[in-house]
Amino acid sequence: MMNLPGLNLATPVADAPPIAVVEKHEHNLRIYTEYRFEVSFARTLTIKLLEGTAEYFGTELAPTQTYSFSGTKGAIFTWHGCRLEVSGEAESEYVAEETGMVAYANAHLALEGLRDRGGLEGGPRVLVVGPENAGKTSLCKILTAYAVKVGRQPMMVNLDPRQGMLSVPGSLSTAAFSSILDVEEGWGSSPISGPSPIPVKMPLVYHYGLANPEEGKVFKPLVTRMALAVISRLEEEPLSKSVGFVIDTPGSISAGKGGVYDNIEHIVSEFSINVVFVLGSERLYSDLSRKYQNRPTDEAVNVVRLDKSGGCVDRDEAYMKQFRQAQIRAYFFGSDKENGLAPHSQTSDFGDLNIFRIAEDSSNAYGHDEDDMYSRPSGIYEKTIPTLSIQNSLLAVTTASPADRQEVIRDASVRGYVYVSDVDETKKKVRLLLPQPGQTPANAMILGSFPEDVPGLVS
Amino acid sequence: MSYSAEVAADFRDALQDLKANKRLEISILTGIAKDNTEHAQAISEELEKHIKTTRPEWKLPALYVLDSIVKNVGTPYTVYLGRNMFPTFMAAFQLADEETRTAMENLLHSWKQPVPDSIDARPVFPSSVTQDIEKFLIRFRAINPQNPLPQRPPQGLPRSLPARPPTQGQMNPWNRTATPPQGRFPAPNDPRNRTGPTYPAAISPPIAIQPAPVAQQALPTQTVDFNRLMADVNQLLLNCQTAHALVPTDVDTKEKLDALKGLKGILESHSLPLHQLQKIREQIDNMAPPPTAQQVFINNPPPAPPFAIPAFQQFAPATSTPDPALNLTQILFPNGVPWTTTPMAPTPSLATAPLANPAAPAPFTPPPQLSGPPLITPSLAQMLAQFCQPPATPPVMAPTPASHAPVMPHAAPSAPVAGSAEWLLNALKGLPPTGTPSSVQATPLSSEPMTRQTSATANAEVELSSASMKRPRLNLYTKLYDAYPNLCRTCGRRFTFTTEGKEKKARHMDWHFKVKDPDAAKRGTHRSWYIDEKEWVKYDEVDETLPEQASNGDGAKAVKKEAKDKYVPVPQDVALSQAPCPICQEKFEHQWNVDANEFVWMDAVKVNGKIYHATCWEEYSRGSTLAAPSTPDSVLGKRKAEVSPAGLGKKGRVN
Ligand SMILES: Nc1ncnc2c1ncn2[C@@H]1O[C@H](COP(=O)(O)OP(=O)(O)O)[C@@H](O)[C@H]1O
Ligand SMILES: [Mg+2]
Ligand SMILES: [Zn+2]
Ligand SMILES: [Zn+2]
Repeated sequence: MMNLPGLNLATPVADAPPIAVVEKHEHNLRIYTEYRFEVSFARTLTIKLLEGTAEYFGTELAPTQTYSFSGTKGAIFTWHGCRLEVSGEAESEYVAEETGMVAYANAHLALEGLRDRGGLEGGPRVLVVGPENAGKTSLCKILTAYAVKVGRQPMMVNLDPRQGMLSVPGSLSTAAFSSILDVEEGWGSSPISGPSPIPVKMPLVYHYGLANPEEGKVFKPLVTRMALAVISRLEEEPLSKSVGFVIDTPGSISAGKGGVYDNIEHIVSEFSINVVFVLGSERLYSDLSRKYQNRPTDEAVNVVRLDKSGGCVDRDEAYMKQFRQAQIRAYFFGSDKENGLAPHSQTSDFGDLNIFRIAEDSSNAYGHDEDDMYSRPSGIYEKTIPTLSIQNSLLAVTTASPADRQEVIRDASVRGYVYVSDVDETKKKVRLLLPQPGQTPANAMILGSFPEDVPGLVS
Repeated sequence: MSYSAEVAADFRDALQDLKANKRLEISILTGIAKDNTEHAQAISEELEKHIKTTRPEWKLPALYVLDSIVKNVGTPYTVYLGRNMFPTFMAAFQLADEETRTAMENLLHSWKQPVPDSIDARPVFPSSVTQDIEKFLIRFRAINPQNPLPQRPPQGLPRSLPARPPTQGQMNPWNRTATPPQGRFPAPNDPRNRTGPTYPAAISPPIAIQPAPVAQQALPTQTVDFNRLMADVNQLLLNCQTAHALVPTDVDTKEKLDALKGLKGILESHSLPLHQLQKIREQIDNMAPPPTAQQVFINNPPPAPPFAIPAFQQFAPATSTPDPALNLTQILFPNGVPWTTTPMAPTPSLATAPLANPAAPAPFTPPPQLSGPPLITPSLAQMLAQFCQPPATPPVMAPTPASHAPVMPHAAPSAPVAGSAEWLLNALKGLPPTGTPSSVQATPLSSEPMTRQTSATANAEVELSSASMKRPRLNLYTKLYDAYPNLCRTCGRRFTFTTEGKEKKARHMDWHFKVKDPDAAKRGTHRSWYIDEKEWVKYDEVDETLPEQASNGDGAKAVKKEAKDKYVPVPQDVALSQAPCPICQEKFEHQWNVDANEFVWMDAVKVNGKIYHATCWEEYSRGSTLAAPSTPDSVLGKRKAEVSPAGLGKKGRVN
């Protein structure tokens, strides 16, 4: 069902002229169908619900809003049938009869059952795994949106650095959702200094700084740290505890090296996962269910298989790169809806910045080059003075002091990000873009290789 | 805000979205009015105000709302709205274009008549209300001879609206009245009705099977059209039979089929009171593509479908009503049935599937024939079970024209309701007739075996297993919506209609209003720093639907406020709002505080009428006996949601 000619093959945007839908037109969706569309970053598609009900990955469309999408691949599903008014330009659009929604809604209902019966143990602690583009993030959104819809306050954890949640790519984050998700902006917006038409979400953010959890040695410690924060929060808040949380993950940890899923096991044990949804991989499902089949009841892990939705679209690297840049831009400048944010640009001395670059070969630190001073077990970072090479890159402002041990810096959550827009090596000055006015943070800042440079964020 | 004011505000919100003659919206507004007759005065005032102030082109739709309310709900709205009818009407009329004026005159004319099909012979408004307006109109037309009085419609169609093109073919009754009757069921015993030997003969066929396109403008409201209901039920039955014929072994289809037969039997053999008919109608509409989906179909004649006629039309040549059997098969076989080739191919019908062009790759619009009446779901059966209760008062023959009580000509004492309950139960359960009505009530029925559960325990029974995830439980999914029927039309968040739900929604609407503050957008906003671990772990999510103090009282959680966390609202006083901190001479930075719901200066305290940076003040007063004043509670509201940039600066205020 994925190979229908011309429909959802990931064609490079540049090669294929987009199928331009300029005219305003209507779609009548019958019950249990969905309208799927792809819009490039250069174009906008607007969708208005005229009649009936409709939802975008679980979040209901309001009848008075016109939603605009750009750089988006998505689907509008209806449980009751609806009429949509669509205008703008889509690379592709069609109505699908067969969707994954029945299974996703079942998953929600089953979790609700566990929440009702949770007792002291609390609600289900859910891990979503599967290959890239299997619909993991979409499922997470639906589960979160439905829980919000029935009046819960679910918690989400994003462990996929390739795609930020309420933050930039390269970050790992977690947040509780007490209000509806933002249809146009993915997960919504973190707090801004003014009012926001959709309530903002309050994330806790850590910086990973690499694309792939399978590289480097920072991923597992960060998982451990984040699990600590999430579980502490649940203990603080009985209401959240009864709802539990859902963890989204990158596809790479589901690849498995010789049937070993090191990172998955680590997450399961750190977060005391008791439900695993496996999307779109028979082999992963069978490996994991075998792995977790004979556990004592109090540590039981229920591995459940879900079919990959026919709507999932493969996103090529070109798209992902644009996606990342859009996320970074939105962090500083806001999305349209936030009416444009005003970041603050200022100049700092080299000496004001405490930059810690993630050590290149940190993954090989153990064992190999024991005499290399940067490869000591504590050689997670190299303290760096600014050079031209950091121009256009993103620095994560941690809560740690530069005097702290490297492990402390690693485990520190971040206060936000600054962007290096210019480096003057002769005057020893850097021009920084800060999210808000104020002095240059004196905290330890992490510089990773991911996300990549964003040239021209400030022109 | 009083509760009445809240209801009125809700009504106003919905009203403000009404920019065309939208049947669905008008009926929603009518519904609000109907559900809140105790607030009729506030609602009436809101409506009058809206008609007075809204743009001229939106006045007519609002007048249709008024019309729909007075005709469908009646008193007390007729009383309240009647009082100011003259100025309201007159003001709108003067601003209206000629077409609208004609429509308004027709409205007025219809108000001098009884509600169509009602047994109440009194006019909609007493003549004291309409007379003044009539006089005004006559004078107005006399002064404006270029706009002569439109010709009275011919006798046969006394209330037709010239503004709407007459439909070809069969005339829908709604077109003959400004807004159709809704709350009052047509009284067949009314001598004015051309009631034939069969009950619903006086009512025209349902709009759904009207063959001709009608005007784009939707009709104002809907009614419980018995014929249409029967037609829809028959159509569902047909579809279900089709599905059953295709997959005779499927238990679900069989059960749905039986439930439908039961429904049909009850509808045919019993005089159901109006509210039950309405429930059935509602239920069917709820389960269906929105009631308007059919209208969509007739309103917008679609391009011819690229594929052959759906198979079911061969079963049902007599009607053009869309075919939900496709959905049914889809539901029964979520992973595809033998004859459906792909999820996207629009070829699920038996007859055409084999002919489907596999090379057709283009995105497509579903053939509109496919939109249609609802798939029957078990919740219908549950609802029916409740009808099996003997009615509190048995239907009586009450031909007194003054009564509003729904009266059916065929109220048949020979077929008691309780008997039909048993009959229906048998049909649904496949059990011998044992159930008493009360036991029926206690355990609502479901025709779907794996979802046989009451709503309270529904969740508990969805097993978490790979196989269970594939099983459709259609009656449960719609609860996501049905359990929270009170929709915020601005953002899509849902509430209940309970007192608590309404209060939450009112606060929620207030919140929408506040964040829309146009001044807010002008002041530069920026992304805030994220909070740190400790704060996050203790953080109470802000819920705009809860009263302010609700999340405040938790003493155990209240962390000692640090100086940087203190804030004061941005002062109203101009001089004060421009003044810098007396200690460091730096200006204050304002930011939006979600909890306080206003712009505040963070890291600020007010001492003796002056505002200082809290951190400056703390430093300054350290060592002295002065204690820094804390942020006043009234301002505090809740825990702060904003993070001040302090603590990051190189001054190292906190770190
Ligand atoms: N039903 C659907 N219809 C259209 N697009 C979809 C659908 N489900 C997912 N997508 C899109 O497919 C892409 C991959 O899905 P995603 O949930 O991000 O997968 P993963 O998180 O597993 O990588 C995303 O762009 C997503 O928006
Ligand atoms: Mg993902
Ligand atoms: Zn809202
Ligand atoms: Zn100061």
